Amino acid sequence: MGELIRVCSVSDLPDPGKSVFDVNGRMIAVFHVSGTFWAIDDMCTHDGGPLAEGELRGYTIICPRHGAQFDIRTGQAKTMPAVRATPAHKVVVKGDDVFVEVNEDV
Amino acid sequence: MMLPNLNLDVSFTDEGFYNVAYHRDQPDWLKELRQRAYVAYEELPMPNRSMEEWRRTELRQFRLLQFRAWSPHPEQSPQIPSQLASRLATSGSIVTLNGRKLNSQMDPALVQQGALIDCLEHSILNGWESLIRNHLFSVLDWKYDKFAAMHAAFWTGGVFVYVPKGVRLEKPLLHVAALTSGQSDLGHTLIVLDEDSEATVVTETVSVDPAATGLYCGGIEIILRPGAKLRYVNLQNWNQATYHFAHQKAIVGERASLEWTLGALGGRLAKVNQHLVLDGPESEGIVNGVMFAEGRQHLAYHTLQHHRTARTKSDLLYKGALQDHSHLVWRGMIRVEPGAIRADGYQRNDNLMLSQTARTDCIPGLEILADDVRCTHGATAGRVDEEEIFYCQTRGLTRREATRLVVTGFFQQVLDRITVDSVRDALTDIIQHRVREYQG
Repeated sequence: MGELIRVCSVSDLPDPGKSVFDVNGRMIAVFHVSGTFWAIDDMCTHDGGPLAEGELRGYTIICPRHGAQFDIRTGQAKTMPAVRATPAHKVVVKGDDVFVEVNEDV
Repeated sequence: MMLPNLNLDVSFTDEGFYNVAYHRDQPDWLKELRQRAYVAYEELPMPNRSMEEWRRTELRQFRLLQFRAWSPHPEQSPQIPSQLASRLATSGSIVTLNGRKLNSQMDPALVQQGALIDCLEHSILNGWESLIRNHLFSVLDWKYDKFAAMHAAFWTGGVFVYVPKGVRLEKPLLHVAALTSGQSDLGHTLIVLDEDSEATVVTETVSVDPAATGLYCGGIEIILRPGAKLRYVNLQNWNQATYHFAHQKAIVGERASLEWTLGALGGRLAKVNQHLVLDGPESEGIVNGVMFAEGRQHLAYHTLQHHRTARTKSDLLYKGALQDHSHLVWRGMIRVEPGAIRADGYQRNDNLMLSQTARTDCIPGLEILADDVRCTHGATAGRVDEEEIFYCQTRGLTRREATRLVVTGFFQQVLDRITVDSVRDALTDIIQHRVREYQG
């Protein structure tokens, strides 16, 4: 089990909402949707675009560069031009604190 | 050139600029140049991903203010893990620590002939001011971006190489640039080869601590007068926690030739602009790039082969291998100016992917504004053929040995173009040491 890193408070992120954090040297996009937090790499696997700068529609984030869509719960690519998943990370909420456990294997 | 008070602010701020760079022993013209560069540094935005050249390079984790623009040399010189110092028989050498001279030596016979390798700042104050003034930042564009301006404003120490007219150095000149934990190197290298002279200059960058972070924000200017011939090697071998921002530019005069070899091996994040200007008829430039990235390294190299006059030739070959989660970016351009007829330009970039999770972006480009030219380019990215690995294993090699053999074979084409034997051997050793099993 990896290290849990605190990124923000629950109240810091509106629902729905998104933000980017530098977690152990990686830029991680954290999402707050329907009361639950999710985290994926802030990187589109098509062109390296900053995903969290895109539009959030339900559980889908749309890359601002070319419109590739990713499922924020799993990191799976849902549409072209992206074909590969972006890494997803575990999120733990303890009280008012949101922690991310970075998956170093991906 | 010690600072009077070590409690002064030496960060990349207003205060730091005046403490580190402005109030030094230096001529007024240099002070004025620094001042203008500092204004540009303040005005230019920190590069971000909305800028085309930076769209593939993640800078959001970079914290400039965690670094200092100056630090005193330690009382005891650290052990510097150079790969080349013991392999090269040199005619002169300089070792810099955090951009400033630690020691230097030069063959007295060559000193008699007027050749020099020494601290740039020291040389300005000791008889070389006029020559240096004519060339310093005459080639590099210090307004290019924030890092170029920062370098021009804050640089200290540096290296100056001069080879007078008609002098030929048989053995190489070596510059070892070392960086200590948490410090920065803003050294400027100025190399001037006068008419019909010949030299080999080798620069190697190393981190004293294998894991501590550091910052390099340097500039290299190379000026080759008509008929001069230079072999220049730049082996970037920092540890994998160092940030490396470099602007390197060579201007090659009539009948002059440059063989420029670049090793891109170290750095957490490297962003390099390598600019070759063919400025006189019959000038020639050969560029060799050897790139190897692993872990989460991000190495971005932007090359420009600029044909400014007629009958010029450039030939660029970059080869890169990637393993783990690394990312290589190569963006190359051949630009041929109007009237630069009979230009012959070639550029090629090949990348070998050693894992499923590595990523490469290779973007060749041509900008031809003249007729009657020959310019070609190409780029490839591919994985290792599993059958090749399997075949090697049937001959008794382990999977790692097989991968190493395939990777060495891949690089052989560019290694064969490097004419400095010890550099070729060092690069081969470093690559072989770093290759792990192919994860196809």
